[in-house]
Amino acid sequence: MRLELVTLAGVKLDKPVFEVILPTVEGEIAVFPDHESLITVAVPGAIAVRQNKEDSDDQMEYFAISGGVIEISSNLVRVLVDEADHSDEIVESDVKQALERAREMRESATSVVERDKAHQLISRHTTQLKVADLRRRKRRG
Amino acid sequence: MASTQALKSRIRSVKSTKQITKAMQLVAASKMRRAQDADKASAPYTKAASELLSYLASQGASDEHPLFARRHIKARLIIVVSSDKGLAGAYNSNILKTYLNEYKQSDAESVKVKTITVGRKVGQFVGRLKDAEVVGAYEGVADQPSGRELHAILDTARDMFMSGEVDAVDVLYTEFISSLTQKPRVQRLLPAGFTAGTVSDSVRDAKYEPSPEVVLDSVVTRLIGAQLYQALLDARASEHSMRMIAMKNATDNANDLVDDLTLEMNKARQGAITQELAEISGGVEALNE
Repeated sequence: MRLELVTLAGVKLDKPVFEVILPTVEGEIAVFPDHESLITVAVPGAIAVRQNKEDSDDQMEYFAISGGVIEISSNLVRVLVDEADHSDEIVESDVKQALERAREMRESATSVVERDKAHQLISRHTTQLKVADLRRRKRRG
Repeated sequence: MASTQALKSRIRSVKSTKQITKAMQLVAASKMRRAQDADKASAPYTKAASELLSYLASQGASDEHPLFARRHIKARLIIVVSSDKGLAGAYNSNILKTYLNEYKQSDAESVKVKTITVGRKVGQFVGRLKDAEVVGAYEGVADQPSGRELHAILDTARDMFMSGEVDAVDVLYTEFISSLTQKPRVQRLLPAGFTAGTVSDSVRDAKYEPSPEVVLDSVVTRLIGAQLYQALLDARASEHSMRMIAMKNATDNANDLVDDLTLEMNKARQGAITQELAEISGGVEALNE
């Protein structure tokens, strides 16, 4: 089964995998090879990827995604999202600081534009933190 | 004739200006290339989304969808894209001229115009217009705008269209045709009008969760987002390429000026020497008599 992670900035990931866990509007779903064809809507959250069947949970890869569309067929999972960050690209301390700044921005926002921007940033950073947290917990466990 | 000293300092100042324009030219060239690459990178996204939409449209899911609703246009929203910085030749003035034309035309048809500005230059310009209604003004958008930045603009436009506050949404940007040709272009974002393409088997047999309507909503929003994203990138590539050419002309002019000034300086120096020699030989003549 191939996983394609397509963002506006280009194809983020395109490789064979064994299992993908996806956040959808109907809750999280795990997809294995030969899944029935399905098209659904992704919500901001974490994608977990298990590359080989015998990989343990510790070896799973995580991506923080924004909302998008998911297209599943028997041998392809295509995720169309605006943004996707690999958990290794997320530096927790930086994100925490950015989240703090975004919150301050929301407090001091004087226009709709500023408040919108702050909201967007807050939801993005919160998702990233969640993914970073997942990664850490898996490593410890 | 100016003194040699004055000419020398003018040459020095022109040369340092030339260094700056040359550097700006090179920076603009590499930024232009990056913007073009980013434009290309978003193609798979657009393709995948278009394919999904084609299928959904062929199923009739789009007939009732509010984002496809064609209404009589009483008010429109224009998203104008310019740059934050100047020194890009006619880039900003072309956009502003096109914007004014659109504005006047709509005014003549008694269509109300609301505006979202992207970039400081157009923000300042529209802000000074007496009866322009500015909904939002964005500045400092990154060279490669992130999905989030895009959605702040997109959500506003979408909400205004859905609520019936405006009946059409257009984006006015500079289309990048080649590194030598760019021209302002008005593209309609809403109501959405996408042409159907080919549909792959995997898409045709799929189940939709929670429903085709919800999926359609998400797909259409993404496609409009991709269109806006490409418009922003096109505008960016155009800006950099026009700046590159403007700076190249400035560098060439500086070169010409240095040549002229050097010639003048040499003349002035030679003139001074000739005059001094004439004076000396005149003095010698006088002594000999």
